[in-house]
Amino acid sequence: MLLEARGIVKAFGAFHAVDGADLLLQEAELLGLIGPNGAGKSTFFNCLSGDTRPTAGTIRFRGTEVTTRPPDAHGRLGLARTFQVPIVFDTMTVRENVMVGAFLRHAQRRAAAEKADEVLAFTGLAEQANLPATALGTPGRKRLEIARALATEPVLLLLDEALAGLPSSEVEAAIDLVRRIHARGITLIVVEHIMEVIHRLTQRVLVFNQGRVIAEGTPAEVTADPAVITAYLGRRARK
Amino acid sequence: MRPRRALPVAVLVVLLLSPFFSFSPFYQRVAALVVLAAISASAWNVLGGYAGQVSFGHSVYFGVGAYSALLAFTKLGLPPIAGAPLGVMVSVAISVLIGLPSFRLRGHYFSMATFAIAALAELLVISWNFAGGAIGMMGPANSRSLADLLFRGSLPYYVIFLVVLAILLALTHLMQRSRMGFYLRAIGSGERAAESLGVPVRRYKLYALLLSGAFTALAGSLYAVMIGFIDPDSGFGVLISVNMVVMAALGGAGTLFGPLIGAIILVPLSEASNAFFGGGGSGAAYIVYGVIIMLIARFSPGGVAEWWRILSRRRVRRAA
Repeated sequence: MLLEARGIVKAFGAFHAVDGADLLLQEAELLGLIGPNGAGKSTFFNCLSGDTRPTAGTIRFRGTEVTTRPPDAHGRLGLARTFQVPIVFDTMTVRENVMVGAFLRHAQRRAAAEKADEVLAFTGLAEQANLPATALGTPGRKRLEIARALATEPVLLLLDEALAGLPSSEVEAAIDLVRRIHARGITLIVVEHIMEVIHRLTQRVLVFNQGRVIAEGTPAEVTADPAVITAYLGRRARK
Repeated sequence: MRPRRALPVAVLVVLLLSPFFSFSPFYQRVAALVVLAAISASAWNVLGGYAGQVSFGHSVYFGVGAYSALLAFTKLGLPPIAGAPLGVMVSVAISVLIGLPSFRLRGHYFSMATFAIAALAELLVISWNFAGGAIGMMGPANSRSLADLLFRGSLPYYVIFLVVLAILLALTHLMQRSRMGFYLRAIGSGERAAESLGVPVRRYKLYALLLSGAFTALAGSLYAVMIGFIDPDSGFGVLISVNMVVMAALGGAGTLFGPLIGAIILVPLSEASNAFFGGGGSGAAYIVYGVIIMLIARFSPGGVAEWWRILSRRRVRRAA
């Protein structure tokens, strides 16, 4: 098992954003994580990446208990992530942004630059390499975050709504990029709103609602699940 | 060297060489003070500029260096400069002591914490009678040996300061090109993202503070050596910290030569205003600094170094 999260609870005061969620992930999987707004997906996701410390439960990544370890320790162990609202290093060029990631496994500047160039070519950002990161629009920034994460040479990549908010012209390219990342042997967890994307990308989906996993299965199975329809559309839609 | 860099570098070199061809003692003195200020502002820049951790408490390190120098003289009869290594060692200890808890804070909260620590330090020193209390300490009145570094003119100080500044800027340049430089800049512009890429944020902030604090302490020792007098206000005063922040910000925080440019602009200004207003006008500096901080923050967060980049980009575009 690559990633194993059991009984994860994250409480903010009396409110349980995540309320006993489990996740088991095999190597080379491409797992979708869906659910309506406020379902606790992002909080759960942040628990997995170490950005949020769970109130209860345990997380093991590659056999190491990482429940309370900081995000940089997750990074060194081979877990990388992107953010829902991209955080690019705005004082740097596109290549320098990616080099920050590459420095994790390559201490020397030249090696880090080579790794960065390889990843920039893979993600289709090679032409923008010398531009300031601030010159990129939202699609470019999301792509840059993926490139930066890939430069850390992760085993597991967590994408937090990497496709949300993209214009439809960019969505195809993004889906293609995610597929090519998966083909490289990198395991992925994809948090997504767009059902169509989930249908096309993943073989297995976890559906979140009110801090719990309410359904699990192939995209076709979960979208037929009455509990899922209720969660998304309300009770009256079930007829 | 790229041509658009050639002109500003040439101007800088001419300015830095000019004291050797001037026979005005006032000019040479101001030049020495410019370079001294550039040392502490460049040291501040490692943490405040590159890593984006804006400290308003670097007077602590400056004061430790200055006091170490004159304590070495008044208590042990050593040449003041012999206190510099002690100052650097104490600054390292203080960096760890202050850094570990305060780096838990981010942004403005970090700045306020450093400000509070510096204010406390000044109060402590005022009541520390062993080190002269509120009155302070004097350096040697007469040169006992060359090691006292007591010179009639300012040119020898200028040379010493220039060497130290060159060493600091060379180190900063190396850092800027290395993993540490990338990590510090990443921390400065997106701490959460840096962490997610495996950057041990607090450890790198501490590295930056160690380097920054050590050179600020050295600047303090050099100040005490040249001026031969130190009291709580000139060692630990608020204005010492603010000076570093304003110079780095005006010249361009997070750039190699920004703090030096800031010092070249500001030190002559404040020396001229001191000469003009006399002792009664020392408050004027606060007003000027306040205005400069507001103007930079509002209109040009990149400082002077940024203006040049924008100007040369425009010219390139026009030429193309």
